Amino acid sequence: MSLLDIRDLAVSFGTEAGRIQALAGVSFSLERGEVLALLGESGSGKSVTAAAIMDLVPNPPGAVDRGAIIFDGIDLLALPPRQRRDLCGARIALIFQDALASLNPVYSVGWQIGEMFRIHQKKTGAEVQAAVIDLLEAVGIPDAARRADQYPHQFSGGMRQRIMIAMAVALSPDIIIADEPTTALDVTIQAQIVDLLATVRQRSGAGMIFITHDLGVVAELADRVAVMYAGRIVETASVFELFATPQHPYSQGLLASQPRVDVETPDLVPIPGSAPNPAALPSGCAFRTRCPRAQDLCAEVEPLLAVAGQGRQVACHFPGAFA
Amino acid sequence: MNQPLLKVENLSKHFGDAGAPVRAVDGVSFEIARGETLGLVGESGCGKTSLVRTLLRLNAPTAGTAELDGADIAHARGRALRDMRRKMQVVFQDPYQSLNPRMRVDRLIAEPWALHPDVLPRAQRPAEIARLLVAVGLRPEHALRYPGEFSGGQRQRLGIARALALNPALLVCDEPVSALDVSVQAQVINLLATLRRERNLAMLFVAHDLAVVRHVSDRVMVMYLGKIIESGPTQAIFNRASHPYTQALLSAVPTPDPTQRGRRKRIVLQGDLPSPSNPPSGCRFRTRCWKATELCAREAPELMARGNDPTLLTACHYAEPIGVSTN
Repeated sequence: MSLLDIRDLAVSFGTEAGRIQALAGVSFSLERGEVLALLGESGSGKSVTAAAIMDLVPNPPGAVDRGAIIFDGIDLLALPPRQRRDLCGARIALIFQDALASLNPVYSVGWQIGEMFRIHQKKTGAEVQAAVIDLLEAVGIPDAARRADQYPHQFSGGMRQRIMIAMAVALSPDIIIADEPTTALDVTIQAQIVDLLATVRQRSGAGMIFITHDLGVVAELADRVAVMYAGRIVETASVFELFATPQHPYSQGLLASQPRVDVETPDLVPIPGSAPNPAALPSGCAFRTRCPRAQDLCAEVEPLLAVAGQGRQVACHFPGAFA
Repeated sequence: MNQPLLKVENLSKHFGDAGAPVRAVDGVSFEIARGETLGLVGESGCGKTSLVRTLLRLNAPTAGTAELDGADIAHARGRALRDMRRKMQVVFQDPYQSLNPRMRVDRLIAEPWALHPDVLPRAQRPAEIARLLVAVGLRPEHALRYPGEFSGGQRQRLGIARALALNPALLVCDEPVSALDVSVQAQVINLLATLRRERNLAMLFVAHDLAVVRHVSDRVMVMYLGKIIESGPTQAIFNRASHPYTQALLSAVPTPDPTQRGRRKRIVLQGDLPSPSNPPSGCRFRTRCWKATELCAREAPELMARGNDPTLLTACHYAEPIGVSTN
């Protein structure tokens, strides 16, 4: 049994333009100790997936329409809200992109990290203080005892992200979901945080869902990748297979549009057009209007995610190497 | 013709009180030739944006000069100022904030001509708007739409079309693709490359994404805490960078190739950026540098050729390409 098993998850939002399907039946699983990257561009449904797992889809206007989120054998969608919150709060942790917005400016960081222990483990006083300092040291904050008493604005962006990671690992969760945790950071700081996440993952053995649009970070950190487009997973593969032999034309397009810093890049081949309006998706395959391989069939029938080799799945009528 | 298009000498921009000013830009010198793309990289707070704003004359420089085609940017008045603005146009980072949502596209693109009516006779403007839209990969009929009807990538194309309306010699691009998705980013990069070739445009390309800068630039300069610490041809910077900061910056960029995982030697910098109002004595990078000695605290290293390559300028007492020796 997988640690997390998501089956046919669909989420929609009510908008002025009508109801839009943010997630249109997404299925994937996460094993213990595995890093799964959800890779996609704005509006592809990556963050909505995280929100649905954590029960953070704002309702209204959002709603989980169907599907199952099975965590360690328990269907989260079938749990009463209170029970689900206790379970998720202790065993699934979320790291956001914007650490400053996720920390409360009027409490010291030590107090905020201590909340985890006070609420979930009923620890008090000196016990909490010691646990907080241990954690801050573990995530590489120098002079932890003194800095625990400082407030979020007294830390740099990279340090704040370290604090978020400390809070996330405080209760030794089974799953860590990191939603673009390095996107707002400068490249030298990003490298530090990616290293820290790799260490955390090794030490804790937790499963990690890493949400990003950055192919470089995926290549550094992920074991497996699910590529998302317009609320669907279009390809899943091991990180090595995806980068070596992408099967879906969208995955191929993403890799071909990325310049590289370590070698001279030949001409970039962009994907033509832009992501479709989610309120007016094309019929059939959502990618077909930008796809070099699209045929009549693609407009008529939506391709479903189908097995394409060991551990690989592709949602395309004409998958395979680019001809 | 041998005269550089843009010549910047000892340019400084300080903010705040004279006692302990924030030295956002501190004695920067460089040139851009006609048709050349110069990439400017550096992390948050290094002074990229202050430098750009000073060049665009949105800030007055504290000291030093910048000349566009021989005209002093900071002191141009009247006709000379208008002329300078015509020759130097800007593409901003955020295509959602830089276009007035209530202005139809044809008016947006035509707006520069209202200030520079002599550039193009009124009768030719509609045809030129159509030509510009086609040049940036849009369609002539888009002239009748509003910015809200376009995607992010298309809006950036509109911003570029407007910047081209006056047929400038220099395009200042301040993070022009960082707000765009990867697949769309490549479209805009390719567009800029084409325009540059067709129009012999010079560009100052400011970005924090080193891979993008490598792809578009002829030459690259690296800024740290208000100073240029290394500059040279793109090949030299990316293959033989000799400043420890440039080396650390390059080593930190993740490679989109999982087979390289763990193989590259990453240089992890200690600590954070020092305050620009109280920079370290001598070399500003020394507080985070693994090569720093007592000499670095005493004497600021000059930006000059330090190795065999006369075009690679490095501001470091111990400049050396990586792999030559380590101790």
